Amino acid sequence: MKKVIASVLSVAMVAAFATACNGGGETQASGSATGDTQATQGSDGSETEATTTAKQVKTYGTGSEKINLWSFTAEIPNMVNYYVKQNPDFASKYTVECTIIATNGGAYQTALDQALSAGGDTAPDMYAAEAAFIIKYSQGDMAKYAATYKELGIDVDAKIKDAQIAGYTIEAGSRDGEVVALGYQATGSAMIYRADLAKDVFGTDDPAKIEEIFGANSGSWDKFWAAAAKLKEKNISVVSGSGDMWNVNEKAAQTGWIVNNQLNIDPKRAEFLDIAKKLKDDGLSNDASGWSEAWFADMAGTGAKPVFCFFGPAWLINYTMNEHCGGAKLGEGTFGQWRVCTPPVGFFWGGTWVLGRKDSAKKEGVAKLIEWITLDTSEKGLQYLWANGLVDWDEDPATAVAKDTVASAAVMSKSDGKVDFCGGQDIFPIFIKGNQYASAKAMTQYDEGINGYFTDAATQYAEGNLDKDAAIDAFKTKVNDNLSF
Amino acid sequence: MSNNEVKLHSIKRNDTILKVVIYIVCIIFSIMTLFPFVILIANSYKTSIEVQESTLSLISKHPIQNLKFNWHVISSKGTFKPMVGFRNSFIVATLSTILNVYFSSLTAYAITAYEWKLREAFNAMIMAVMMIPGTVTMIGFFQFAYKIGLVNKLSALILPSIAAPMTVFFMRQYLQASLSMEIVQSARIDGAGEFRIFNQIVVPLMKPAIATQAIFAYVGSWNNLFSPMILLTDGNKKTLPVMVSLLNGDIYKTEYGAIYLGLLITVLPLIVVYAFLSRYIVEGVALGGVKS
Amino acid sequence: MRNKKLVDYAKYGYIFSIPFILAFCIFTLYPVVYTFIIGFTNLKGAGNTEFQFLPAVGKNLFQNFMDVLKAKTFKQAFGTTCIIWIMNFIPQIGFALLFTAWFTDRRSKVKGTGLFKILFYMPNIITAATMAILFQKLFGYPIGAVNQLLGHLQPGRQPYNYLINNVPIKLIIAFVQFFQWYGHTMVNLTAGVIGISPEIFEAAEIDGANRVQTFFRITIPCIRQIMLFVLVTSLIGGLNMFDIPELLVGSKQGNGAAITTNMYIRNLAFDGSYLYNRAAAASVILFLVIVALSAVLFFVMRDKDEAKIKKLKKAELRAARKGL
Repeated sequence: MKKVIASVLSVAMVAAFATACNGGGETQASGSATGDTQATQGSDGSETEATTTAKQVKTYGTGSEKINLWSFTAEIPNMVNYYVKQNPDFASKYTVECTIIATNGGAYQTALDQALSAGGDTAPDMYAAEAAFIIKYSQGDMAKYAATYKELGIDVDAKIKDAQIAGYTIEAGSRDGEVVALGYQATGSAMIYRADLAKDVFGTDDPAKIEEIFGANSGSWDKFWAAAAKLKEKNISVVSGSGDMWNVNEKAAQTGWIVNNQLNIDPKRAEFLDIAKKLKDDGLSNDASGWSEAWFADMAGTGAKPVFCFFGPAWLINYTMNEHCGGAKLGEGTFGQWRVCTPPVGFFWGGTWVLGRKDSAKKEGVAKLIEWITLDTSEKGLQYLWANGLVDWDEDPATAVAKDTVASAAVMSKSDGKVDFCGGQDIFPIFIKGNQYASAKAMTQYDEGINGYFTDAATQYAEGNLDKDAAIDAFKTKVNDNLSF
Repeated sequence: MSNNEVKLHSIKRNDTILKVVIYIVCIIFSIMTLFPFVILIANSYKTSIEVQESTLSLISKHPIQNLKFNWHVISSKGTFKPMVGFRNSFIVATLSTILNVYFSSLTAYAITAYEWKLREAFNAMIMAVMMIPGTVTMIGFFQFAYKIGLVNKLSALILPSIAAPMTVFFMRQYLQASLSMEIVQSARIDGAGEFRIFNQIVVPLMKPAIATQAIFAYVGSWNNLFSPMILLTDGNKKTLPVMVSLLNGDIYKTEYGAIYLGLLITVLPLIVVYAFLSRYIVEGVALGGVKS
Repeated sequence: MRNKKLVDYAKYGYIFSIPFILAFCIFTLYPVVYTFIIGFTNLKGAGNTEFQFLPAVGKNLFQNFMDVLKAKTFKQAFGTTCIIWIMNFIPQIGFALLFTAWFTDRRSKVKGTGLFKILFYMPNIITAATMAILFQKLFGYPIGAVNQLLGHLQPGRQPYNYLINNVPIKLIIAFVQFFQWYGHTMVNLTAGVIGISPEIFEAAEIDGANRVQTFFRITIPCIRQIMLFVLVTSLIGGLNMFDIPELLVGSKQGNGAAITTNMYIRNLAFDGSYLYNRAAAASVILFLVIVALSAVLFFVMRDKDEAKIKKLKKAELRAARKGL
């Protein structure tokens, strides 16, 4: 019996790898590959090294000067590939070698930290950082390795002015007033609501009126709660879960978690305890947490109750809601029913920043790439192409190209932001405002950890497992024990 | 006489009941065991959206089409090269397993069969090393690896397996119970050298132990994700699990269907290796070791 | 006479240990010593490698150790680790022994044991990450397989959020841990049983021992060595538990119900403050705890055994000499 199983599995495996060979366009036959490995088996490990000296997987350009680019997805490498193709001069001078390490379990940061502090030829000349850890590399422990954009030779002040770069991206990417990191995509966010439900409850689906009803940019949730109560009368949840509102409140804070080496709970963040409790006690949400099956069901309108709105940036619309709305054209699922308006409190969610290394010997080449990605407002610049969905970066016809919001307001205002998913609404004006209203002043390198402890405290309080004081105490203890503040 | 018959009869009935119980329990556990594999397979032919919306469902609207698409995603990303990944994983797992079990057996034999002055101290050291929590020492290891240029060298993942304290511990326990010095002595009389005795007499004796530890070592090495992620930065040196970790794609767009297909591709070779090695556990290779 | 004979071979003990010692010195010694040392220093901050010993900056040499021992989270984490380990270990060893008894029983001819033996180890092949996702979805809230099933059985039931409450979190983790590792333990034990000479069982059969007697009087004593291995390695693995609780629940959910000692160490080292020194101190403390508990196990399992082995060895030597 088990012999049968074993042989079936062997056949399955061989078949899988045979297809792998053909599909992957590898010239090597599976038989010869096995032969290779067996040959190396007998000898010592050093020979294994010698046999695999092929080029890095993602290497662009043919020049003699090597630029090491480190990133956690293929996104920036794909952009660089495009740039290299468009700029033969650059390609003949430089070769960009891309190292991609996923963020799983903190692997990207661990490897990047080691590579930066080890220095030398193999150290990254240019590297990417995500919103979750940008502060560590721009202002925190690892900031000392980052070159200012001026050191790279970029006329950064003038360019920022021309491009009208979103303020929060500069705040997050500056060290002592000098820019060391900027992004391409901007993630200033909007309130994304269901027009059909709005009409039903408030008699209008006009973004201008809806944002009025919800208290756009008022910095307060008072009007929001009044509207939520009205929605509840019709058995509609205002949001999917408390996590959606945490994303807003976290960034609404004016002061960071750590001030003068002490834990500091900003009033806006403290308010979230009451928000979570109110949502739970008054039954105003579907109690779904982000990225759960229930959350996606709420996007399609198939959850326990219909959900009125989500808070998020353009990528949430493009890559998440669009895919989970349960359809691809008007009349299917909730497709086309969504509109965007300014949320009660401005915030941003996510984003990627690009940095150059201080001791890099290839600053000129790095500067060219960084400038094209973060500050070029021309129609050949990355941001214009990105905002208008003009390039398939992946070079993969199977992936749809979306219109995303970018850091430069100048680029956005000359781009077309009409999206079918939002019933043809031009979403860019709202997101330009979203970028303006967002702030990165309250960010610290400790946010990822502390946010986790705080939202858990809020959940425990909302669930009734802890009273408010006990929840805050538990939170303080955890921060002190884990981060020593 | 009749009493005995009743007894025999009741023993037989008890036997049947026991057999039924064994089958029921085993079948329940088998179903439990197969469940993760079934889900893995089911998700490999779903779209990313289907995976996110109901991971545990076995149904997909267009399984064949999705499977093709997921394969297309995997093969078009450029970061997932199945043959390269398989090759690297195979080299790392196979060589480190061989080194692990062979040298662990040798070390265990040194501790069990010979009486030498530092034996107890050495044994105690091995036990102590086994008990060191790895989290922080890993930081030291990565630092060391980056400093002396062990990055992108498969050997950095292979050679440390020569010193595998847990395997040594198992082998030692096994030898203590199963090794008969009689055989060793008689081989010595026949004029065999110590090294030859180990290779030709002791190693065959240890087959079941070697097979089990080889399985564990192979699975551990094959599934190892964090260290290879840190140490193998070159796309051509990455192992299969590391390549799967790169299928996360663009920052906000994760191809879950493709990831599951990648996981399935990663686990298949492991099952084959396991099925091959498990022969030794299942059949109980006849032992020459006379120990009574 | 006897001593002299052994001395002749003693050098092989050293020679055969050389590869292990070399590999250990090259790859493991530095990180281990480094960890031990930084526990007494002020080393913290990502990417930082410069440090001073604590007395040099006017602090107590053992400050990091005291900070760790004072931390409520450390105590909670240690307690959680022990609770989850015990909840998973008892059924794990129980079922592993039961299956070992069933599958190695020479008398009951249960068909398909080979297949079952192969199958039961397989959950160990699946990575912890995959397993964690599976169980997250199983216990999803408010939509998830278990909630939906119970909703069908009992219409009108409110969905329950398993993964934010203390008791269910611990039970689920213990179950997954059990599920992944019982096969592993079973394989170890089976290997031990296979190592027993068949003649012993034959003799027992002839003597009229029934199955239960054979298992408890013959099999278990014969695999004592392997049992000791299983107990000690389970203890080490259990106290170092990390993957499943981290990936399934994480340290920031359920008011720390899932946080294990190793997760706490990881948090100290990577959770934003990069307190490498304190993480190293916590590692040393955990190491000492493991050593102490293992020593107890060795002691409990050892004394009778050792005596027996020594006696056996003597007998063997005598036999060997006779043979000469």
